[in-house]
Amino acid sequence: MPRWGMVIDLDKCTACQACTVACLAENNVPWAEPEEAALGRAIFWQDVITDVEGEYPRVRARFTPRPCQHCEEPPCVKVCPVRATYKDEEGLVLQRYERCIGCRYCAVACPYGVRYFNWYEPQWPEPLDQLLNPDEGPPPETRGGRSGPEIRPKGIVEKCTFCVHRLEKARHEAEEAGKDLTDEELVLLPACNQTCPASARYFGDLDDPESTVSRLAESSRAFKLLEDLGTEPKVIYLKAGG
Amino acid sequence: MTKLSRRRFLKLAGAGAGAMGLYKLGLEEAVQETFAQSQRGQEPEREEVRVPSVCGLCPAGCGILVRVIEGRAVKIEGNPLNPNNQGRLCPKGQAGLQLLYNPDRIKGPLRRVGERGSGEWESVSWDKALGLVAEKLKEMRGEGQPHSLVFMHGAKPGLIHNLIARFGQAFGTPNVVEVPSSTASESASLVHYLMQGWRAPSGYDWTNTNYVLSFGSAFLESRQPIVKMLQAYSRLRRGRPDHRSRIVQVESRFSVTAAKADEWIPIEPGTEGALALSMARVIVEEGLYDRDFIENHTFGFEDWIDEDGREHIGLKTLVLRSYSPRAVAAVVGVPVETIRRIAREFAVTRPAVALGDVSWQTNGLFSQMAIHALNALVGSIDVPGGIIRQEDPPFAPWPLTVEDSVTSQGLAMPRLDHAGTRKYPLADGVYEALPESILADDPYPVNAIFLYQANPLFHSPEPDWFYRAFQRVPLIISFSSFVDDSTSYSDLVLPDHTYLEGWSDDVLVPSLGYPVLGLGQPVVQPLYDTKNTGDVLIELAQELGGTVAESFPWQSFEGLLRFRLRDIFEAGRGSIVTDTFDQFWDEFQERGVWSAPPYRFGDWERVLATPSGKFEFYSQNLEHTLEAVTAREAAEKGTTAEEEMEKMLQELGLQARGDELHVPHYEFPRWVGEETEYPFHLNVYELMSLLDGRLANLPWLQEIAGLHIKEMWSNWVEINPETAKERGIADGDLVWVESLVGRIQAKARLYPGAMPEVVNMPLGQGHMAHGRWAKGRGANPKRIIGNEFDYLGGLATWSSTRVRIYKA
Repeated sequence: MPRWGMVIDLDKCTACQACTVACLAENNVPWAEPEEAALGRAIFWQDVITDVEGEYPRVRARFTPRPCQHCEEPPCVKVCPVRATYKDEEGLVLQRYERCIGCRYCAVACPYGVRYFNWYEPQWPEPLDQLLNPDEGPPPETRGGRSGPEIRPKGIVEKCTFCVHRLEKARHEAEEAGKDLTDEELVLLPACNQTCPASARYFGDLDDPESTVSRLAESSRAFKLLEDLGTEPKVIYLKAGG
Repeated sequence: MTKLSRRRFLKLAGAGAGAMGLYKLGLEEAVQETFAQSQRGQEPEREEVRVPSVCGLCPAGCGILVRVIEGRAVKIEGNPLNPNNQGRLCPKGQAGLQLLYNPDRIKGPLRRVGERGSGEWESVSWDKALGLVAEKLKEMRGEGQPHSLVFMHGAKPGLIHNLIARFGQAFGTPNVVEVPSSTASESASLVHYLMQGWRAPSGYDWTNTNYVLSFGSAFLESRQPIVKMLQAYSRLRRGRPDHRSRIVQVESRFSVTAAKADEWIPIEPGTEGALALSMARVIVEEGLYDRDFIENHTFGFEDWIDEDGREHIGLKTLVLRSYSPRAVAAVVGVPVETIRRIAREFAVTRPAVALGDVSWQTNGLFSQMAIHALNALVGSIDVPGGIIRQEDPPFAPWPLTVEDSVTSQGLAMPRLDHAGTRKYPLADGVYEALPESILADDPYPVNAIFLYQANPLFHSPEPDWFYRAFQRVPLIISFSSFVDDSTSYSDLVLPDHTYLEGWSDDVLVPSLGYPVLGLGQPVVQPLYDTKNTGDVLIELAQELGGTVAESFPWQSFEGLLRFRLRDIFEAGRGSIVTDTFDQFWDEFQERGVWSAPPYRFGDWERVLATPSGKFEFYSQNLEHTLEAVTAREAAEKGTTAEEEMEKMLQELGLQARGDELHVPHYEFPRWVGEETEYPFHLNVYELMSLLDGRLANLPWLQEIAGLHIKEMWSNWVEINPETAKERGIADGDLVWVESLVGRIQAKARLYPGAMPEVVNMPLGQGHMAHGRWAKGRGANPKRIIGNEFDYLGGLATWSSTRVRIYKA
């Protein structure tokens, strides 16, 4: 059984935010109108976090792309009163839309701020609704609820899925063709990774010692966000700089 | 569509189509519906294809693959076959479907019924609209006034660019004027002409570069082709095991590029040329230059004697005479030791590349020359890891246009923008000079303006000038897909398709060196009653009849595209080699790109196409151009060339005389506004997301606008925290930014990356029109930017304006 993880090389990352927009487009994430955005209601499953420090002329800035960390010990799962959020058998932290009651405990519990509440019905003024991705997350009978790019209604929480629908589809296609998904195919599987101009992102099976992500996770530059909280994130960063 | 689908790799996907209705039904019902379907074992098949094309959000020419389901485009991804972007896209490219399906698109030809700018339109048929235009154009030619048509167009490369030029040529107007994309490559192009003999931006071989010294080039944000630049960055950092190239960013702002560089060197605005020359001096003084390259491939390094026995000074003498780091340090605000250290690093860490994007200053051209001289000093011209010359695809040559006497007389008229005259001797076009001529009928009145991907009412310095000029022109026709600022003041709109609905081609913006041609093909059926502007121009030319029609012997833009491809097919090289042209055309559509690697280094005749056949530190092209312009003037006025030269140099405000004029040197920059009254430099820049503002109508890009400052949906002014404190300005305060020209309001953001005397503002916001998401959002800094220009190239210099700041 694979254990999915991601590696992001901050030395290659240019903070262009192609990952951010690719994610919006792939997962049917609506934009927040400016008034809503000013209230902090914009949704980015894959945001880039900026940290500017120092005083002129000694200024430093760090840019950290931040998808869901898909923790091995996810605090969000522990607090969900209705088991809407769960970790599946392959380590993905997913959200069953039908079950979510919108209490937002998970959003508070998550130390990474990757869980987003839908404050209003998503608006797709015609003909913008034409661009919606008709793909679906894994069927409810296998995972107990929808958790893909399906349109989320007002009042529930949503989050990064590591593009689980793309994963399922690629697997299905490989199966049909009688092949296994290769590490090479997996590396670029999520929409954010696929578009990354700097090739700074990798996806794959952390339990496969031969996989790209496993090998990169061994790097001396590797670290995880807020590791001391014991969340055991499955997103591994590679430090910038020489 | 069926014709196309046959050639695309067609795929029938079995996933439940019930989800397509998801957003229309309530979620609950939809889920049940899908559930019911899958229980019934019904999985309706849907037609899914991936159509290769080219991105149209900037001119770079990235290849795309569009996922189309049942005729709807649902996702854009990079085309892995296109070597320009190798399957990757920037955030703009990812947001492209918000352009195609934008609710504010123009749905068919429009004729103005209310006052200009009132937004009152009536729909007209294409027949009617084209009839109106043809009638007007015939009238202009009938009166012997074809030159009174001004065709302003954007910087889109490829066939449409040539077609517009040809339309002007056949119709008889010299007034085809490009509104350059403001990403600063124009001045670099000109410098390559002066020093290497060809007028285009350069490419770079990033595979082996060990050192990048960037002067003001925000190459991780706004330089084109951006995806290639980001790939290059990644390669420089981690592309070779145990080898990390060094990147130094010299810039008057702590940009994202500066943040990602190894070292940021803040510099006094407009002094980059002085710094580059000072580094050149260190390199010369310490003997660190590439002797072999200098001896064999350069002209004007040492002092020299011409055919008439006159002595001339070379770059070496010039930099040794002036530009000591000690003298320069105070001017540029960089410590002496830093100048020396960076110069040495640059010279010994080869291959090293000096990048420059400094054309937003009046002395930009000479600064850019000084920066490019550094490349030659370390021998980085046309070597692995250095600067290369982009090769164009071997297109079939255009047949000559046919001219009647009306056309010839029109073309013989002087250009309204004075490009190539004593006012702007090296310019190809000076769009920002048009309003003055139009308002004064100087030297003749303008009867019509065509606008293609050009929005001067938003993009020009002091756009009020264009507003007034527009009022004087009886007919303004726009080909825009959106009612942007300028279109809202037009009389007739002939809306173009968006890039995903029609045919186009895209010649790679210089980067890889070897030729690359992308094909833009219809990805979806046109949503509305729009027409490819290429087709419209062909139709108009044919309607005009006579020699104009003869000059356009094609049935359609697609036909023209196929004609131009014929020589590429016949060349039988590159990524598509076939037996017949039809096979070539089919494969081109399937792949979406043709390319012909590899780049061949060391073709000196092609790379150094100057009068001397060498890299010219002493630019004979510059000398000859200035001489030709003044000789012409002198002949007209019966004065001497020397008199005219002196007069011209004085008018241009150039300080250098004699040899120095033709060699990289430092000219003092001009400023709009006195320092005493306007203590801050206004430094404007382009964002990754919105570029020059044409993309401000895409909400996904508005959302990511200000990453480094955590802003979205607006713009702001970055102020140094200490400076702000002195002026009683707090983070988030509304402030006035005021110049000699006017004032705008913006949110103050305290930013430690702002220099104490420089305030920074992003461009791209402040539209007066351009749809619900762009209109009335933030302020357009160009409203307060004075109409200053580069001394010789006539380029608008966006960062020449001084401002004061106070709380609103």
